[in-house]
Amino acid sequence: MFARRFLISFPIFATMFVVQEAIVSQFKIFGGGFSLFLVFALLWAALSTPEFGALTGFGAGLLMDLSQTTSSPMGQWTLIMILAGFSIAYLGYGDDNFRGNPISLVVIVALAVPITRFVYLVIGLMLGGELGSLLHVFFSLLNSALWSIAIVPLMMPIVTRIHSALFQEANRG
Amino acid sequence: MRNGGDNRGRLLLISLIVTSLFLITLDLRGVAVINGLRSGSQSALSPVQSAAATIFRPVGNFFSDVTRLGRTRSEIERLKAANEKLRNSLINRKNADAELQQLKSVLDLAGTAKYKVVSAKVISLGSTSSFTQTISIDAGTNLGVRQNMTVISGLGLVGVVKISYPNHALVQLTTDPAFRVGARVAGSQQIGILSGQGTSKAVLQLLDNQATLKVGDVILARGSQNNRPFVPGVPIGEVTSVDNAAGSVTQTADVKLYANFSTLSVIAVVVGAPEADPRDALVPKAPVPKPVPTVTIYATPSESPTP
Repeated sequence: MFARRFLISFPIFATMFVVQEAIVSQFKIFGGGFSLFLVFALLWAALSTPEFGALTGFGAGLLMDLSQTTSSPMGQWTLIMILAGFSIAYLGYGDDNFRGNPISLVVIVALAVPITRFVYLVIGLMLGGELGSLLHVFFSLLNSALWSIAIVPLMMPIVTRIHSALFQEANRG
Repeated sequence: MRNGGDNRGRLLLISLIVTSLFLITLDLRGVAVINGLRSGSQSALSPVQSAAATIFRPVGNFFSDVTRLGRTRSEIERLKAANEKLRNSLINRKNADAELQQLKSVLDLAGTAKYKVVSAKVISLGSTSSFTQTISIDAGTNLGVRQNMTVISGLGLVGVVKISYPNHALVQLTTDPAFRVGARVAGSQQIGILSGQGTSKAVLQLLDNQATLKVGDVILARGSQNNRPFVPGVPIGEVTSVDNAAGSVTQTADVKLYANFSTLSVIAVVVGAPEADPRDALVPKAPVPKPVPTVTIYATPSESPTP
């Protein structure tokens, strides 16, 4: 069932990846902008079971590792997104009050985005990466959280509808 | 049943983590397949990026301009005046003319230093998620662009070619936190290392602890062995503040970079270095005030004013 769900999700993630790399990357947005793909992947994982959240993170991380603007070793984003996908799905798993509340989802994804990036930074440092200005890092993480708060409510109705339509269909089939 | 499900979930999670660690290990060991994967995905994405750049770059430029509004009132006033003056002539060809201007200035700079360059358009900006600052350009190995070549704009150093593909290349910007360049101070010829900080300012650390810096000093690229990754003499920026902290081993300074990274559109890759070091020939000239013509009118009142 996991393989089937993964195959169903993959074209959607590939499309979002192309949108991120080809369109969103054209815009120089205030505060460093946002990663539409990262927000989408975490939101998708938040709506899934922990196991499928990890699998979602694996696919999303693999695509992020393929981005030419990623200078980290191949697999770094994959590792972090597996953990992020699993964690975000695990937090609300089995709690319908939590999953049914849009505000909880917005808050959890908005927090998950900077935390994921922070973990990426820490693991990057452990692998010999550079940090740069601490102030810049702080503002970059803060801005990504603020952008996520703005974007998640816009994306959530579409993502939840696609997610439920696909997986209810998959369960029926 | 539930235990079986939990075990299967754990097994899946562990398998995925092991796979990602395996990928990291392979990449760090330099396995060619991993590099081929990135190269392949970029070869597939490059035409889409080029098309998207054509369609969305004007919108992107609009957002870029919006974020710069309000920085200084005088700059806005000056831009308003210039905009008013140029509106009629630029209405249909704004983008084309802007790119032409950037190309002209970069060729002027390259011509002064006798650099052999390949001009290129910026086709996408790097994602900020990875804390790196990069751009993609539409020139690659087919045009002679190779890894570790200097990239310049009309104002100065933009960065260095990090990876080169057949039809495009990835450029690491001077603002990237991992960017380092050997620099020298124009005039005094003191040398140091300039590091990117993720912002439009960089930090210069002098190598000689007896040397002194002052605000306004112009910083140039020192040049590398065999002119790669850096050709000598490229203007980098201007010292805006000097750290004179007592007890510091070497003097450091903040450097405002000349290149405007928010409006990069046309850049040039230096594919051939000059035979002779241009020294300080590329130091930007200080603006010379233009004399304002004055007209004096003498008015003499008549003796008997007419009604």
